[in-house]
Amino acid sequence: MSQPSLSTRDLTIRFGGHVAVNAVSCDFRPGELTVIVGPNGAGKTTYFNLISGQLAASTGTVIKDGVDITKMAPSARAHHGIGRAFQLTNLFPQLSVLENIRLAVQARSGEGWRFLTRVESLTELTARAERYLEATKLERVAYLPAAALPHGDQRKLEVALLMAMEPDIYMFDEPTAGMSLDHTPDVLDLIGEIKHDHTKTVLLVEHKMDVVRALADRIIVLHNGELLADGPPEEVMSSQIVRDVYLGKSTEPA
Amino acid sequence: MTDTDTQGGRIVKLAVLVIAALLLFAPFLFQDIRSLEVAARICVFIVLVASYDLLIGYTGIVSFAHTMFFGFGAYGAAISLKQMGPGWDAVIVGAVAGIAVSVVIAIAIGLLSLRVKAIFFAMITLAAASVAMVLASQLSHFTGGEDGITYRTPDIFKTATKLMVNDEGKVARLFGVKLNGKLAAYYFVFASSLILFTVILRLVGSPIGTVLKAIRENEARAEAIGYRVVAYRTFVFCFAVVIASLAGTIYAIWLKYTGPDTALSFTIMIDILLMVVIGGMGTMWGVVIGATLLVLAQYYLRDLMGSAAEALSDLPLLPYVLDPDRWLFWLGIIFILLVYFFPKGIAGTIAARGSRA
Repeated sequence: MSQPSLSTRDLTIRFGGHVAVNAVSCDFRPGELTVIVGPNGAGKTTYFNLISGQLAASTGTVIKDGVDITKMAPSARAHHGIGRAFQLTNLFPQLSVLENIRLAVQARSGEGWRFLTRVESLTELTARAERYLEATKLERVAYLPAAALPHGDQRKLEVALLMAMEPDIYMFDEPTAGMSLDHTPDVLDLIGEIKHDHTKTVLLVEHKMDVVRALADRIIVLHNGELLADGPPEEVMSSQIVRDVYLGKSTEPA
Repeated sequence: MTDTDTQGGRIVKLAVLVIAALLLFAPFLFQDIRSLEVAARICVFIVLVASYDLLIGYTGIVSFAHTMFFGFGAYGAAISLKQMGPGWDAVIVGAVAGIAVSVVIAIAIGLLSLRVKAIFFAMITLAAASVAMVLASQLSHFTGGEDGITYRTPDIFKTATKLMVNDEGKVARLFGVKLNGKLAAYYFVFASSLILFTVILRLVGSPIGTVLKAIRENEARAEAIGYRVVAYRTFVFCFAVVIASLAGTIYAIWLKYTGPDTALSFTIMIDILLMVVIGGMGTMWGVVIGATLLVLAQYYLRDLMGSAAEALSDLPLLPYVLDPDRWLFWLGIIFILLVYFFPKGIAGTIAARGSRA
């Protein structure tokens, strides 16, 4: 088995007396798509926030390719290859779709500090941004402000931003939330392509069981902030403890 | 800039070009001292307001200390010209000193408070600006206190200086305009303002400009895709105060006087805010329009009302309402109407209107 690209060691965060994520230790490897499941309030998004840096861990460590990134700001983690998409659409609403993507490309290329150079003259950046525009089939809305897009396209743009960051670790937080059924496959295809690259590590928070079955190489279950189960999909889905806390409660969560 | 591709956008651009042309030929078009005073003030305020728009309109940083940095530049030049005498060395020393003080204070304010919520930052800048005003008033042996400082500027800007002489040894005229030091001073103000404004335009159109807008739009996401938000904020704050400080130096050279009323008072801060709001936040063309309109209103609304009141002197009530003494009242009403009919500022609203058509 290959070396883990991302590990968390006893990762914990407390909000006052409440332990939202409790001593979660887990390894993630390149080419592996891990789905994180658990009931609402289980700490899935909080766990994501600890890895990508929106929240600071109370104790424990996050290690990316052997580097301890626990104390780093989110921007520094992004430069270490952690890419994070958000559950609620989280874009630059008044900027055009192309500008949104170009920002991510530019952050990756380290051109953010160039000034007195016209953006338009950096054709390499624009060309790369256009590639992601094509990959996510957003070409025809390239010059619209992100806020003007229908919800499904905004979710696709969210994925495009993540792809444009060219991270090693892709973190998706319910990428199909609120999407109509006919749009869902587009986003799942994109995630499938990333997975087939085999050099990328993908973490996915998802409720929809058909999505989980279609994509997961491995499932981990969080419950009350603790790691409850970890293993291949069939094994985890059939274990009694998981059925009790998660699947048993609501047969088909929305 | 996509907002200038619309029909409304073209109208805005055209208006800006007209203003630029009028400013360029101002000494020849309006041959009286007061008009030239107005034109120079417009030039300086375009730069000052553009640097402020970088903060409030592009990055979403609310600062109330912009006049303070303008004042550092003005007082820097004033004090060095007073102490060292009227030479370019004094101008350079003053400008550099103004920039140095501005940057040091901007970094101190930035590191202390650019991480925290916008409202705390705004309050800290307000406090800093108040301290600067008290200091300027208290350190009177240095700053001239409430009276300010009068000084001489480099000889080329003296009104008596002849840039060119005619056959009789008198100052030469071009289209009836004396080619004297006053003309040189105006073109010094115009050219340096143009250079500074161009630098700001380049910054806005560069990759960094997009990052600043991204920070305004969604700070957390900008950080998540890899931009160190605190660093960018601190950078743009320092950049804006350097420009403001230089604008102060330019204005100090033009006025040959620097005092609290011309360089530090909160009235100037309010003028800056009004100019940004009237022109349209987050658009450099709006800055030009806003600064021009407000300066013109401040100088000419009273005259205009005076002549209107005179013309209507036979009618009841109207001359009374239009009495020149009530010009601030009318200025207020005009602002309210402008904000009501142009919610995104004049440039912002007109540019958006074209895109709908």
